Amino acid sequence: MNTPADQFPAGIEVCDCLTPFGDAVATAAALLAGRRALELTPVLGRDGGDLVPLALTGPMDESLPPRWLRSLRRLAAGIPPAAWGAARTPVVVTSSNFGVGSLYAFTRDRDVRHLAHGTPFASVDLLRNEFGWGEHVHVFSHACVTAHLGLAHAARLLHAGLADRALVFSFDFVSPFVAGGFHSLKILNGALPAPYARRETGSIGLGDGAAFAVLVRETRPFRLAAHALYNEMFHFTGNQPDSAGFATCAASIAAAASGRRVWVKGHGTGTLEAGRLEAEVVARQFPDAPLTGWKGSLGHTLGSCGLVELAVALAALRGGRIPGTVGGAAPSFIDAVALAPFASADFDGAILTSNAFGGAHAAMLLTHD
Amino acid sequence: MTERYLHQLRVELPAPEESAAGARVRLADKFPRMALRRMTHLGLLIGATLDGASLGPEDAVVFASTFAETRALEDFLGSFPAASPLLFQTSIHPGSVQQVLIGRQQPIARLWPLAGRTRLVEQALLTALIEPALRVALVGGEERGTWMLEHKMASSRSFAFAAILTHESAGALGRIVFTPGAPTDTACPTLEHFAQAMAGRRPLTWQGAGGVWALEWL
Repeated sequence: MNTPADQFPAGIEVCDCLTPFGDAVATAAALLAGRRALELTPVLGRDGGDLVPLALTGPMDESLPPRWLRSLRRLAAGIPPAAWGAARTPVVVTSSNFGVGSLYAFTRDRDVRHLAHGTPFASVDLLRNEFGWGEHVHVFSHACVTAHLGLAHAARLLHAGLADRALVFSFDFVSPFVAGGFHSLKILNGALPAPYARRETGSIGLGDGAAFAVLVRETRPFRLAAHALYNEMFHFTGNQPDSAGFATCAASIAAAASGRRVWVKGHGTGTLEAGRLEAEVVARQFPDAPLTGWKGSLGHTLGSCGLVELAVALAALRGGRIPGTVGGAAPSFIDAVALAPFASADFDGAILTSNAFGGAHAAMLLTHD
Repeated sequence: MTERYLHQLRVELPAPEESAAGARVRLADKFPRMALRRMTHLGLLIGATLDGASLGPEDAVVFASTFAETRALEDFLGSFPAASPLLFQTSIHPGSVQQVLIGRQQPIARLWPLAGRTRLVEQALLTALIEPALRVALVGGEERGTWMLEHKMASSRSFAFAAILTHESAGALGRIVFTPGAPTDTACPTLEHFAQAMAGRRPLTWQGAGGVWALEWL
């Protein structure tokens, strides 16, 4: 059964991200040039371990203050001034990691100072103090679809008349905690990811990423027109083999995008089964759309990937060319996988998707003048 | 004014000393044996509060927890350098709700896992009130930590609650009401305080998010 996508259009006042390449413009340029930020790195940082592909903004080992704070200060400098965190101008923070790397650092070093920002609320309190946000900071954490939830929630607040502007802020920085976890699942291994490529073994990379967007109810040149969410609850780390979960979410967002010429930025981590299911559903639901994915370069920025990749998409649209699937290779699961950049002029919308543990699916429709 | 009616309310406030193993014995008849073995304390408590609550693929779940998957997090950290894949999966928010719904093979439309603290209850209620699904399961809970509790980074007690929120007044136990218009905030109940009010059918009221909140019993 398909539930309709949320259609509460929100204007994007400003949106930017931070990746190892820099801001959204620099990141889009690097992707257009086919550059990879992923490098083979010891999975446990200074504690060693197998080499795995990570895209880092600096050494992964946690520091005091936490290594992500300096990066977030740089990113937050681009947020327009407002009484963020007041009831009418809420902040929605989305992350799947928060400061969990600090918990790992504590268990290794026994330095209690790491604990000051090790939990979601403690890391968000640090951000509130740092950026002067009020108490109305909504915090969501739903693994790799988290940023989609934050954007959809902000749009709902705006359209319910409960907010005038909303700041969605997302951050996920790789730590031995999360790298070790994905390594234990065998999907973070020694191979670089090749999203949507038909090959013997699947692999993902992980990346540091942070991003923000200010959403308003009024129209703007770029708009988030619709959001679709679905949770198949079939398996913690697997999807329904008949791709019903992907298909349900895709059908909802496709209905909202009816009549538009869209391209699709998929989740595309580099795993084989999920990549195949995703690509096949895209081919069925959007037969004329090129499918691209950027995690073969940026790595998977986890709970922040939806917002990081939205910022990259916006920068690419402003430049008129959309990056192809960096790291992908023929043969792909479907012919529509774009391995090279393509012009955006032929399209008037984009579908951006993410997936997560538990069979969670998210998609949003980005439209523009 | 925006409101939702509470149905099928259940609250789990186990004895403070109850462990996950104890909960497994106490609640064994509510879960398949294979699933029971791997469930966390919070997963067991949430499963018990959702027992008998029917959810469909068009419904939504709002899940509030400040500390979330505490014990799995502690145990996963203890598993390094040979990180445990099972503990990694269950340490990720909202693993406790997913344990229950995956166990039931119960798809849902939307899952909103919140992880705040200061105004967590208010934000969870707000999320539920603006959710268009006709049936919204409002779920919350914590599990008691061990070493993280010593550092005030975990709950001091385990508890969970769940209620189905609808627009139907018939047969409702209570209702959540939000009336816009209050310019100032007052203290928002903590998640544990809210759970206790639900268990004791005690009314609550406070101001926040630009309005007045009320938990009322019918």
